[in-house]
Amino acid sequence: MAEPRDDAELPQAIVVAPKRHRLSIVWIIPILAALVAIGIAVQRIRSEGPTITIVFKAAEGIEPGKTLIKYKDVNIGQVKAVQLTEDFSKVEVTAKITKRAAGLMVDDAKFWVVRPTISLSGISGLNTLLSGNYIGFEAGASENEQSDFIGLDAAPFVAGQLGREFVLKADDLGSLSPGSPVYYRRLPVGEVVAYDLAPDGKSVEIKIFVNAPYDKFVSTGTRFWKASGIDVIADANGVSIRTESLVALLVGGLAFDDPPFTPEKTRAPPNTVFTFYNDRASAMRTPDAVTHRYVLHFNESVRGLSVGAPVTFLGLPAGEVTGIGLAFDEATANIRPAVTIAFYPERLVSYATPSDRSDVGPLLKDDEKRRRAFLQRLVDERGLRGQLRSGSLLTGQLYVAFDYFPQATKARINWNRAMPTLPVVSSSLVELEAKVTNILDKIDKLPIEALGGAVKKDLEDLDVVLASANKLIKNVDTELVPTLKTDLEALQHALGSVERTLENADATLLGPNAPAQQELRDALTEFTRAARSVRVLIDYLERHPESPIRGKSDTMSGGR
Amino acid sequence: MSAAALGAAQSGLASCTTCGLLSRPAAPGQLGHCPRCGAALTARHHHSVQFTWALVIAAAILYVPANALPVLTTTTLGSSESDTIISGVVYLYQSGSWPLALIVLVASVMIPLGKLVALAYLLITVQRRSAKNSHDRARLYRLVEFIGRWSMLDVFVDAFIVALVQLEPLMSVAPGSGVVFFMAVVVLTMFAAHSFDPRLIWNPDNLGRHPHG
Repeated sequence: MAEPRDDAELPQAIVVAPKRHRLSIVWIIPILAALVAIGIAVQRIRSEGPTITIVFKAAEGIEPGKTLIKYKDVNIGQVKAVQLTEDFSKVEVTAKITKRAAGLMVDDAKFWVVRPTISLSGISGLNTLLSGNYIGFEAGASENEQSDFIGLDAAPFVAGQLGREFVLKADDLGSLSPGSPVYYRRLPVGEVVAYDLAPDGKSVEIKIFVNAPYDKFVSTGTRFWKASGIDVIADANGVSIRTESLVALLVGGLAFDDPPFTPEKTRAPPNTVFTFYNDRASAMRTPDAVTHRYVLHFNESVRGLSVGAPVTFLGLPAGEVTGIGLAFDEATANIRPAVTIAFYPERLVSYATPSDRSDVGPLLKDDEKRRRAFLQRLVDERGLRGQLRSGSLLTGQLYVAFDYFPQATKARINWNRAMPTLPVVSSSLVELEAKVTNILDKIDKLPIEALGGAVKKDLEDLDVVLASANKLIKNVDTELVPTLKTDLEALQHALGSVERTLENADATLLGPNAPAQQELRDALTEFTRAARSVRVLIDYLERHPESPIRGKSDTMSGGR
Repeated sequence: MSAAALGAAQSGLASCTTCGLLSRPAAPGQLGHCPRCGAALTARHHHSVQFTWALVIAAAILYVPANALPVLTTTTLGSSESDTIISGVVYLYQSGSWPLALIVLVASVMIPLGKLVALAYLLITVQRRSAKNSHDRARLYRLVEFIGRWSMLDVFVDAFIVALVQLEPLMSVAPGSGVVFFMAVVVLTMFAAHSFDPRLIWNPDNLGRHPHG
């Protein structure tokens, strides 16, 4: 213990009644803290929306903790993580969705990355230039909740817009792209939303959206065709150029309309699949309900003939080529092109005059027996034959023409096969070719070699003849020429005597003092005088034509 | 035992913790109030350990939301970003300024945690009536008390930034709910440190023994 001290100096403490409590009130603080913490945790958990994953092809501008998911420009979630998928081919985006938007996460909800896009048809996503890319969202109609999504490559058509979506099946995309306009009577009424390759890769599926008031014009029978850019079609029908509008010219587009023959106009339900035609003409073509298929075995090259090439009957379009193949015939060791054609009898019926139509209809399409007999008769009696013809010299495209060739050899139609074979004749070009070939063949067949031999023989004979001629000349040289020389000398002698005789004659006749010349000169002088008198007489007579009758007048006398 | 080791409590006296005046108890078993400054006299703080424990536990509980909830929400051009203390540290570290990251980590994460651990350690040793390392524990206590006032640095910076950076619509900063909890942790640990009676380090025998108990 401490040492004793004087405590008296120290003041006395005062008494305050003590508060009695075993457990301090201070424990309220940790309890409160715990309550608050638990409350926050509960609220957090309760407000916790679902976590979803979206698979994108690329995470362009997506940043974890930053990129938002927006629906109608309202944040409904935020990207938490961006990772590569297990096969490293794509990007998996993990995002937290707010509690309130949890109900939107259904099967057919759509996600896509919104980025600034500038295209010929417009500018979109400009706000992302400042705020960065975000993930766009479009609600689906399904009820099934889903947490794993596959992101779209591009934004679907503006969400919430009234209208309907349709699917077009095309052979190729042409120059279409999302945003390409859809025209109805040259009025922009919608646009291309998306496109994708068909699962089998054999066609392209184009999704289009037609805005509300106009979507009612899309009926089940509506035809869609490409109005992309400039369509330059060079086929057996020649060259044609067609465009829908300037925008379509630049960015491509498509148009639709009902063909005039559409029987019933029922509105097409959304997502109806339509065939996408390449041009208006093919789109508007009457649907050929009745199709007869035939095979033509040509004996010539079918280069220039393409599937879809027209088949004409007496110059009228009546069908099209549906296939080009080869027919093998082992018995005759022959491989020939086999061209399958589709024959649309309804078209021929439509060409018939109205009065005939009722009769022609059953003949061409309904009554099988009559049709066969009729066709056989055409082949037999008229000489109906198929022929390849050049449709356009420019493109060299071929088409199949049916015409009458009365002189054609007899042929039968074999109706027993699935596709009857119709007889053919070779094309005029081929005929021409055949003729030329024929001529060449004939030339080829000429016995030029034998002729050559004969000529050679003749030449040899000639050689012999010439040799004998040579010999003859030599004989002449040695035998004839000496005799000739003596003959010539004798001739010279004779000529000398002739010369002497002539010199004598000259002296008598032509010498200056020759009497003959003197006399001749006198005679000539006399003749000149006579001629002068005659001239005077004639002159006088001309002036005085009456003188032979009246005699010489005095006044006029003394002329000379 | 030296004279220095002899406490007022052992000699039946009480020293005022406010003005330091040593006085005799008012009555046996009742210390009363300081005659000079009027503060309640206690041989040892009332329920010191209990109090401290309660505050330490409350602080520990609130330490969780303080770190889990964002302390700062930055909105830049439409995209907002919420940062917790840890994510801020991570961000700083990743952006290369690791010294800053270290400072924030130490000041905002380690120190509050360290304070809680230190106080818990002191409380446990006191409750176990341990007499070991008394000097070290006293030094630890002083450190905890000293550091307490600096722990609000985060809250200060937060408030500062929120007040300054209001560049609507380009950029704006809003405080997150985490900062409230962080503040609560700091305040509670300060109270805890205060309510802990360091005299117990020296003679834990008085623990729970109240003159009027």
